[in-house]
Amino acid sequence: MVVVRTQPTSSRTAPLSETTVIGWLHKNLFSTVLNAVLTLICLYIIYVVVKGLWIWGVADAVWVAKDRRECFDISIDGACWAGVIQWIDNIFYGRYPRTELWRVNLGGLLLVLWMAPLWLPRVRAKIFIGLSTVFLYPFLAGYLFAGGDKSLFMQVMVTLAMVCLAGNTAHAIIGVSSGRGLPDTLLRWLGKDQAPEATQRNTLLVLLAAALAVGYALQTGWTEEVVPWSKWGGMFLTLVISGIGIATALPGGIILALGRRSKMPVIRVMSTAFIELFRSVPLITVLFMATTMFPLFMPEGFVLNKLVQVIIAVSLFSACYMAETVRAGLQAIPRGQYEAAHTIGLGYWGMMGLIVMPQALKHMIPNIVGSFIGLLKDTTLVSIIGLFDILGMLRSVSQDVPWRGLHKEPLLFGAVVFFVVCSVMSKYSRHLEVKLSAGAKR
Amino acid sequence: MKLTTLFASATAVAAMTLAGATAAQAASTLEIVKERGFLRCQVGPPTPGFYNLDANGDWYGSDVAICQAVAAAIFGSKDKLEIQSVSSQVRFTALANGESDLLSRTATWTLLRDTQLGLDFTAVNFYDGQGFMVPKDSGITSALDLKGATVCVLTGTTTELNLADFSRLHNLDISPVTFEDTNVRNDTYLQGGCDAMTNDKSGLASSKAAFPNPGDHLVLPETISKEPLAPAVRHGDDQWFDIVKWTVHVLVGAEELGITQANVDDMRANATNPSVRRILGVEGNLHEGLGLTKDWAYNIIKAVGNYGEVYEAYMGGGELGIGIGRAGSANALWTQGGLMYSPPFR
Amino acid sequence: MAVSETDSASVRVKPKERFDFFHDERVRSIFYQLLTAGTVGWLAWYLITTTAHNLEVRGMNTGFGFLTATAGFDTDFKLIEYEPGIGTYRRIFFIGVLNTLLISFFAIIASTVLGFFVGILRLSSNWLVARLALVYVEILRNTPLLMQIIFWYVAVFSILPRVKNSIDLSGGAEVVFLNNRGLYAASPVPGDLFWMTIVAFVAAVIGVFFLSRWAHKRQDLTGQVFPTFSASMGLLIVVPGIAYLATGSPLDWDIPSLQGFNFKGGVSLPPAFLALLVALTFYHAAHLAEAVRAGILSVDTGQSDAALSIGLKQNRVLALVIIPQAMRAIVPPLISNCMNVVKNSSLAVAIGYSDVVALFMQTALNQAGYAVEMVGMTMAFYMTVSLSISGLLNIYNKRVQLVER
Repeated sequence: MVVVRTQPTSSRTAPLSETTVIGWLHKNLFSTVLNAVLTLICLYIIYVVVKGLWIWGVADAVWVAKDRRECFDISIDGACWAGVIQWIDNIFYGRYPRTELWRVNLGGLLLVLWMAPLWLPRVRAKIFIGLSTVFLYPFLAGYLFAGGDKSLFMQVMVTLAMVCLAGNTAHAIIGVSSGRGLPDTLLRWLGKDQAPEATQRNTLLVLLAAALAVGYALQTGWTEEVVPWSKWGGMFLTLVISGIGIATALPGGIILALGRRSKMPVIRVMSTAFIELFRSVPLITVLFMATTMFPLFMPEGFVLNKLVQVIIAVSLFSACYMAETVRAGLQAIPRGQYEAAHTIGLGYWGMMGLIVMPQALKHMIPNIVGSFIGLLKDTTLVSIIGLFDILGMLRSVSQDVPWRGLHKEPLLFGAVVFFVVCSVMSKYSRHLEVKLSAGAKR
Repeated sequence: MKLTTLFASATAVAAMTLAGATAAQAASTLEIVKERGFLRCQVGPPTPGFYNLDANGDWYGSDVAICQAVAAAIFGSKDKLEIQSVSSQVRFTALANGESDLLSRTATWTLLRDTQLGLDFTAVNFYDGQGFMVPKDSGITSALDLKGATVCVLTGTTTELNLADFSRLHNLDISPVTFEDTNVRNDTYLQGGCDAMTNDKSGLASSKAAFPNPGDHLVLPETISKEPLAPAVRHGDDQWFDIVKWTVHVLVGAEELGITQANVDDMRANATNPSVRRILGVEGNLHEGLGLTKDWAYNIIKAVGNYGEVYEAYMGGGELGIGIGRAGSANALWTQGGLMYSPPFR
Repeated sequence: MAVSETDSASVRVKPKERFDFFHDERVRSIFYQLLTAGTVGWLAWYLITTTAHNLEVRGMNTGFGFLTATAGFDTDFKLIEYEPGIGTYRRIFFIGVLNTLLISFFAIIASTVLGFFVGILRLSSNWLVARLALVYVEILRNTPLLMQIIFWYVAVFSILPRVKNSIDLSGGAEVVFLNNRGLYAASPVPGDLFWMTIVAFVAAVIGVFFLSRWAHKRQDLTGQVFPTFSASMGLLIVVPGIAYLATGSPLDWDIPSLQGFNFKGGVSLPPAFLALLVALTFYHAAHLAEAVRAGILSVDTGQSDAALSIGLKQNRVLALVIIPQAMRAIVPPLISNCMNVVKNSSLAVAIGYSDVVALFMQTALNQAGYAVEMVGMTMAFYMTVSLSISGLLNIYNKRVQLVER
C-alpha cells in the first residue's frame, strides 16, 4: 500500500514555553526549585539596588543649587547633582578656554569624518584611510587644539592632513555612490582613463601637487590662539593621551614584535627584554618613573613638560602591550604565506609590508580596539601624578569651595561616562570580531 | 638596503640629540620669565583656601594670589601666568629642573628642605600648625586625651611624621589610619572610622566647614607642629629670590600702610606719607635693585590687593573663603598681636 | 632573516659566487645588529652620564646608603616589626613588598573563586541569573579600576558599623570582629610542642600522596574506584588532630578585645586592605569570568555527549571530561590574571594602603629623595614577581599543549 500525501501537514503550534509569558517564565526562571530560589534572590538584589539608587540619585536628588550647603538644606540624604552640572565643562574639557571649546568639538568631528569611510560599504583603500588617521590626523588635531605659530614641519603636516582629509571625504562619497576610487574618477573626468599608465600617474601627481599648493595656501591664512597644554583636561585630555598612546603604540608595537621574531640574536634579545620589562611592571610605576626620572635624563636647561613625559611613558607602555598583540597576529599567519612571498622574490620588508602585515592587521583589529579600551581606562592613573584628566577633574569638584566635600556624585557620573564609552566600543569590537572571522571561515 | 640612507639618518638623530644637549644654557630666572612672556608658578592639587579650581577652570586661592602678585610685579598683569598643579612627589624636582619658576604651595619651611633640596624659602605668607579635630560628643578636650586612639591622617606629608613624633613624645600609642584623599578621610572620620582627625589647622577648619553639621566638631587647642608656609624658589638666583620675597612683603607692607586694591590709585596720586610714596614708586628708586619697573608694587596691589584682602577673600569669611578667623592668630599683623611683619621699604 | 634560506642554499646549483659586501645577507645582519647595539648602548651611556651630571649639579644624593638610614614615619599596616625612628628604609621596603604580596595573594585566591563562580553563572539556564552575571561583568569591565577602588573604599566605610557596634563574624564567639576600622581576628600563639602537630600534618600530606598513587594504580589494574578524596581529607584532619590533642593542645589564641578606643590584640586588617581586596577581587573576577565562560564553551558538546554515552554520570563528566579540557583554555588567562592582580595592587596608592608603591615609591621617596634608586628597586620587585609567574605559565603551557603534527 502506498500512501501519498498530497497536502502538507498543518504545522503544530509552538510549545507553550515559546509563546506565552508564563511559559517563558517557567522555562527560564522557575524550571526547578533551585532556579526559583535563585530567581527570587536575584529579584531581591535588583530591588534593593535599584530602589536605593533611585531614592538617592533621583527621587531625593537636588538638581539646581548654588552650592553644597544649599543642597544640604534642600535634601540632606539625596545626591547633589547641581555641582556636577556646574562642573560639566571642566569634566569634559578641563580648563580649556570656554570661548575656544568649538576647537575641541571640531577636532572630534573631524576624526569622525576622517574615520567614517572605514565603515562605509564600497569604499576602497581602507588601509590607506586607516593609516592616514594614525599618521596625519594627529597633526591636524594637534594644531587645532594647541594653536599658535606653526613651524615649517607643522605647516607641511597640516597641509598634508588637510589635503588628505579632503581627498578621503571625496573618495568616500564617490566610493559610496559609484564604487570607484577617487583617482579613477578624476582620470575619467579628465578623459585620461584610457591613457598609458605613465600619463595617468603624471596627471595624478600634478593634481596632488595642485591640491597641496591650495592646501598650503589655505593653512597659511589659518591661525588659532595658543592654548597651553596646562589648560587641557577632563575627558578631552584622557582621550588625547590614550589616542596618542594607541597611535604611537601601533608602529612601535609592530617594530618591537618584528624585532622579537627576528632571526638576529642581538635585536631579538633587546626587543624581548624591552617588551618584558614594560609588561612586567604596573603602569603607575612607569608614570612615577616618567615624572621623577625623565627630568634627570634630560640635559640641563632642557625641560620636557609633564604632558609629554606622560605621553612618552604611556606610549612606551602601550607599545609593549601592542607588540604582543601584533606577535599573536603574526603567529596566526600560516607559514605558507611567508614561503609564498619568498618564492615570488620578495625581500623581508616586501614580504612583511605587502603580504604578512595586511593579513595580520586584519586579525588584530578587534584586539587593538580592546587595547584602546584598556588604555582609556588605565589613563585615569595620570590623575595620581597630578594631571587633570577626567578623574582628576572629578576629584577636584570636592575641593572647590562652594562644592567642598562633594565627591561621590562626580565619581558616579564619571563611572557612567566610562561605562557608556567603553561598552559601546567593546560591543563594536565584538561585532568586528564576528564579522572578520566570518570572512575568514569561508 | 640603502646603507647610506640608514647611516645618514642615524647620524642625523645623533646630531639632533647632541644639539638639544648643548642648547639653552641658564640665564637669570627673571630674564627667562620675561622672554617667555609669562610666569610659571607651581601649586599643588586643589586644596581649599590655598589653590583651587572653580567651575570655569580658573585657579583661585591665597597661594594663587602670590603667583598673581609676582606676575603682576614683573609684567604689570596678573594674567601673564601659567599655574602648574604638580603632585607632591615631584614638586621639588619640578622646581629644580626649571619646569616651574616659583613654588607657591603649602610647603613647610624646614631646615632640611632649605639646605638640601636646592631651593630657598622666601618669606612666610601663612603660619599654620598641626592640630586635631574630634567629635564634640566624644568628650575629648585635649590632644593628650587621645591615648590609644585611632587618628586619621593624610599620607606622604609631614603631618604623618609629626603625628608619630607627638605619639612617641607623650606615649600615646596612637594608631594612624592613612589616607590619600581628603574626602575619604573626612567621610571616614564622620562615620567614626577614627576617633580624631589630624591635619594643619587650616585644613581642619576647611574640612569642618564642609561637614553637614559643623557645630558637632571641635578643633582641639593644641598645636603640635610649626608649619610656616612660604613660597620657594630655586637656590642660587638671588635676584629672583628677592623679587618673590619682596612681593610677599609688599602685600603685608601695604596692609600695614592701609593701601588697598580700592584706594591704591588714589594713594599713588595723593598720598603724602613718604613710606606710601616710596612703596608705590612715586619717590625713590627701590625697584632698581629688583630689576623691575617703577610701579611694580602698585601693580601687585592693584592686581590682588593687600595681605588682609587676600586673606579675607580666600582664608577668611569671603564668598570663596574657608572661614578661618584671623584675629589673634599668628597670621594677624604684628600690630595686632600676630607675626605678619614687613621689613621697611626704603 | 629569510625563512627558507638556511638549508636550501646547499641544494641549489650555485651561481657564480661573488662576494658582494653590500648585498651579503650575513654582512647586513651583522651590520644591523651592530647598529642596534650601538644605538642602544650609546643611548644608555648618554642617559647615565646626563643623569649623573644632573644629580651632581642639583646636589641630590645618590647610592644605596639610604637603605640603612632610619625612616621617621610610621605605617598603619605592617607584617614585620617596625618602629618609626628606629626602623630603616630597607625595612620600609620589605614592609611594602610583603604588603603587596599579601594583598595579591588574597586577591588572587578570592578572584579566582569568584571568577569561576560568575563564569558558571553566566552559563546558567536561569535567564535572570545569567543576565545579572552579564550586567556584573559588563559594569566591572567597562569602568576604570581606579574608580572602582575609590568607590569601594568609600562604600566600605559607609556600610560597616562603628567600633562600638562591631559585627561579630564568629557568631557570638567573639573572636572575629568587623567594623569600619578593619577586620580583627584572633591570632594563634603556638606553644612549645606545636611543632609535633606540624610534623604530623606534613606526614599526612605525604601519606595522601602515596595513597592517591596507590589508588590510581589499583584503578588501572582492577578498575575499582577508591574514594581518594574523602580518605585523604580524613587523613589530613585525623592525624594532625591526634598529634595536637596528644601533645596537650599547645596552641593559644590572642583574642582581640575592645580596650579604650580600639580593639587590641589578635591580628587586624585595615579597611584600606579590605577595600582594595574587594575591588581587586570583583574587578579581576569579572575578567576571569569571561575566560572561564569561553573556556567551558570551547569544549565541544560532542565531548560531553560521548562521555555520557559511555555511561559516566553527570558529575564525573564534568570532573573528568569537561573541566580538564576547559582548563587548557582557562589556565593561561588565569595565570596572566595573577600577574595583573599583582600589578594592579599598586593602585593601592590611591587609597593609602601601604603597598610597595605607596610606602616606598611615594612616602619614602617624598621624605628621602633617591628617585633613581627607589624607582629602580620597586620596578625590579615587580619584574621579579611577574617574570616568575610568566615562567610558571610557560612551563604549564608546554605541558598541556596539544601535540599537533
